[in-house]
Amino acid sequence: MTQIITKKQKRWMQNPFIQFFKFIYLNIKILIIVAGGHGGTRDKADS
Amino acid sequence: MAKIVVLGAGIAGHTAASELRRQLSKKHKVVVVSPNRNYQWVPSNIWVGIGKMKPKDIIFPLEPLYKRKGIEYVQAKAVSFHPEGDDTTQPYVNVEYVFGERKGEQEKVTYDYLINATGPKLAFDMTEGLKPGTNNAYSVCTYDHAQHASEALHALIEKAKTSEKKLKIVIGTGHPKATCQGAAFEYILNVEQELRHYGVRDKIDLKWLSNEPALGDFGMDGMVLSYNGKPMKSSEMVEMIFRDRGIDWVLEAGVNKVEEGLVHYENLKGEYKTEPFDFAMLIPAFSGHGFKAFDVDGNDVTPKLFKGFMVVDADYTSKPYEEWTVQDWPETYQNPSYPNIFAPGIAFAPPHSISKPRKSPNGTEIFPSPPRTGMPSGITAKLVADNIIDSIKAGHISLQHKGSLGNMGAACIASAGYGLMKGSGVSITTFPIVPDYKKYGETGGRNVKKTFGDIGLAGHWVKLALHYAFIYKAKMKPFWWLIPE
Ligand SMILES: Cc1cc2nc3c(=O)[nH]c(=O)nc-3n(C[C@H](O)[C@H](O)[C@H](O)COP(=O)(O)OP(=O)(O)OC[C@H]3O[C@@H](n4cnc5c(N)ncnc54)[C@H](O)[C@@H]3O)c2cc1C
Repeated sequence: MTQIITKKQKRWMQNPFIQFFKFIYLNIKILIIVAGGHGGTRDKADS
Repeated sequence: MAKIVVLGAGIAGHTAASELRRQLSKKHKVVVVSPNRNYQWVPSNIWVGIGKMKPKDIIFPLEPLYKRKGIEYVQAKAVSFHPEGDDTTQPYVNVEYVFGERKGEQEKVTYDYLINATGPKLAFDMTEGLKPGTNNAYSVCTYDHAQHASEALHALIEKAKTSEKKLKIVIGTGHPKATCQGAAFEYILNVEQELRHYGVRDKIDLKWLSNEPALGDFGMDGMVLSYNGKPMKSSEMVEMIFRDRGIDWVLEAGVNKVEEGLVHYENLKGEYKTEPFDFAMLIPAFSGHGFKAFDVDGNDVTPKLFKGFMVVDADYTSKPYEEWTVQDWPETYQNPSYPNIFAPGIAFAPPHSISKPRKSPNGTEIFPSPPRTGMPSGITAKLVADNIIDSIKAGHISLQHKGSLGNMGAACIASAGYGLMKGSGVSITTFPIVPDYKKYGETGGRNVKKTFGDIGLAGHWVKLALHYAFIYKAKMKPFWWLIPE
């Protein structure tokens, strides 16, 4: 069954105070995932 | 002294040129050839397309910046490639000036290293009747397209205020193998918020029309992501958002023709259908630029350099979907025939799609082509620049820096509505971009710890922060290089 976004979740999504901390968290997480390194896939030393 | 020529000044070309200039001494020459005198931060076109930003907010002129930084700029377009040179010169690219007194004139631009970062050709001509600004269909792929889209959207909003009849907006892909669904997804959510803002949401139906096999495929075969700490398919996440916003959808649609207010498409069942609209934004097919290449004797060697896009160190052997691996994807973006030529960003030819290929009973291929978003374009450009710098310093080709899309993460921060307090964003991170079904077999080819989704105001702030940070970086302001790609 399709999930829905509840009213409570919506309030959470638009609450600037909570979202401020989310903002910090997202930035750090994105930095780690995207800028946190990349490499080849073809030889074992790379992976 | 080495001369490095960069074709294109988009995310990939500009990143490579700035990095080369920063790291190489002035005795080495960096030349950028690009027809558009402005740098544009393409991801913010979405906000130009709803009128929340003006083109001037997302562009700046390249020439003064390049002059200050010691990068030579040629406002021209590459026309043909001569990787062996001719009797009189070393390897060169034939370019044609597109502006000023020399407009139309051709010139040979010689190089020691060549970076082809010309991105895609926006191939509107591959879909009959799809031309931005005609037949009520628009595009947001460039800032001027986006500006026209915004004007037409607001005209429609005005019309809706007094119209008795319910109007309809269709947004999605305009070709059976179009890519960049992420941009269309952002646009539909921003348009939806704009309609609510002007109080006409109940007067306009919104429809998503896409070549994806499922919602949230995004040309990446979809993904299982962590949402609120629980695993969720991207299809479920997008469906949840569309239901919440009252957006209807049609999938597996290969658009083949656009007439005034009517889009024609074929679906995977082989049925030919139409969808009426009052305003549409359809992403065109992305193709190669149709460049030709010649050897020293003037023989056509185009297949050595191009397969639509540029041939690089990918495995292009044709094989069935079941046998595709991440190892097929390139790592250094170097052309195998001419080791001093590289193609980062969208300019390289992918070995195959990421989404599973699908055909209608009539033989029409209907599935998304692989997307190559901004962050990987920047990352691949930087690693190409780093390899060239190492090669110049070492006096021989060095390929220490590698970055396969099968071992690289991407963040898709989709704006879902503009506004410092009322805005919203859908943040999706994926690692790796190309699913590695061997390594992460249990979790749809992705590392679930690094693949997550989030919805809310914070996503909008992240997208805004990225807008300002990346424009700051592109302007090469103090310590710009500390901002990662
Ligand atoms: C509307 C939209 C929204 C997007 N949003 C996002 C997003 O939110 N996040 C994200 O990560 N990605 C996003 N993308 C994708 C991202 O913009 C691309 O991945 C990125 O622009 C690719 O960079 P590129 O340098 O390879 O190509 P381009 O940006 O297309 O640059 C190509 C350059 O080559 C030049 N050129 C063209 N022909 C020639 C020629 N013959 N000779 C010389 N130069 C030439 C062009 O003028 C241009 O300067 C979006 C794309 C679109 C269209």
